Amino acid sequence: MIEDHEQIEELLAGYVLRSLSGDDAAEADRLLSDHVPACGRCRDTLADFQALSADLALDTPPLAPPDTLLPRLHRELEPVPRRRRTGQLAAVAASVALVAGLAGTSLTQFVRAGDRQARADDMAAALDLARQPEADLVPVGPATEISVPGYEEFYLYGTGVQAPPPGSVYRVWLVSSTGTTYGGELPCEDGVVFLVVPFDPSAFTDLLVTVEQAGSTPSAPGEVVWSAAA
Amino acid sequence: MGVRDGDREDLELHRRLTTGDRGAFDELYRRYAKAAYGLAYRLTGQQILAQDVVHDAYMALWRAPEAYDPARGAFRTFFLSLVHHRAVDTVRREERLRKRQERASNLEPVADEDVAEGVVDEAWVAIRRREVRQALTTLPPEQRQVLEMAYFDGKTQATIADELQIPIGTVKTRTLAAMRKLRRVLDEEDGV
Repeated sequence: MIEDHEQIEELLAGYVLRSLSGDDAAEADRLLSDHVPACGRCRDTLADFQALSADLALDTPPLAPPDTLLPRLHRELEPVPRRRRTGQLAAVAASVALVAGLAGTSLTQFVRAGDRQARADDMAAALDLARQPEADLVPVGPATEISVPGYEEFYLYGTGVQAPPPGSVYRVWLVSSTGTTYGGELPCEDGVVFLVVPFDPSAFTDLLVTVEQAGSTPSAPGEVVWSAAA
Repeated sequence: MGVRDGDREDLELHRRLTTGDRGAFDELYRRYAKAAYGLAYRLTGQQILAQDVVHDAYMALWRAPEAYDPARGAFRTFFLSLVHHRAVDTVRREERLRKRQERASNLEPVADEDVAEGVVDEAWVAIRRREVRQALTTLPPEQRQVLEMAYFDGKTQATIADELQIPIGTVKTRTLAAMRKLRRVLDEEDGV
């Protein structure tokens, strides 16, 4: 546990530049939740570094965005009738925000670090995606698959999920007419499951969540616990 | 108009934004879209990705303007940090999907510097831009290098250490020294 302010400021500098990883990111998480709020020196340093980080953006020459961008934004400012399950959407949005908050982070202030930071970022991206009018929200057991047509990745997210048996993990598999594709291990922390699956779901017919032995090679789907049409 | 006047105007625009004022949204777009797009393009290296980053940042601002707390600093600090974070996330997501290398062979040409410089800033943004660029020239090359690799390339300190073949502790030390020096120089500009 770091208590030396020189080292703390090194971490805060790396944090505002978004360049921490591994143990440093975890330590920054701890400092931001345990130490910085109660330390005037660190609060000031963090605020100074954040302002400086934003100023660094100005080293880049300004560049006019495409003329189509503002009209695109204007279109999306219009109230759009939801064609999907708004109740489910609201539940996903609320629980994503809640989980990000519980993780010691704040979606609204964008205060995150390291792996937790990356996880919160991915959850924020999932939330953004879920809010899009064309988003597909498909129940997969206690979780929800969040995707948008044309996106080459999708999210699997759920709360209140029972942990897999000791020594086991949840894994995600995608089924197509030509076989199965491993989508990744679905971590379950404090009842929350979340995974970015780097595949376009439209290329598959089904999505499976399996329980398999931790550490085993994911060569074929194990026991299926939840499934849905991909 | 000075930097602080610009910040005060931003506060009023933000207040109007919280009431759903589209005119305020357009004005904040006019003020920051060029800086945001330039930054996003420098990080992502692709127009379509840069456009998405700026789009997402503005939509996040529209949907949740209360995310910015004026007590925590200037609006531009909040917004340009938001753009930077999203651009870094985009770069890393691309890496995670192992697509960057494929796309590198199809990289769009980098915007012509003259064309980029021809885009006109808000006067007070231009003042700050000059101050920041001047401040960066005061950094020793080895400090500026690690700072730019982190901020503009979106690299972690561990990656920077690997690429420069120096201990990660050295990366941390240089980064902190660079941040402190820049803060000191810019504080002098601000008359702090």
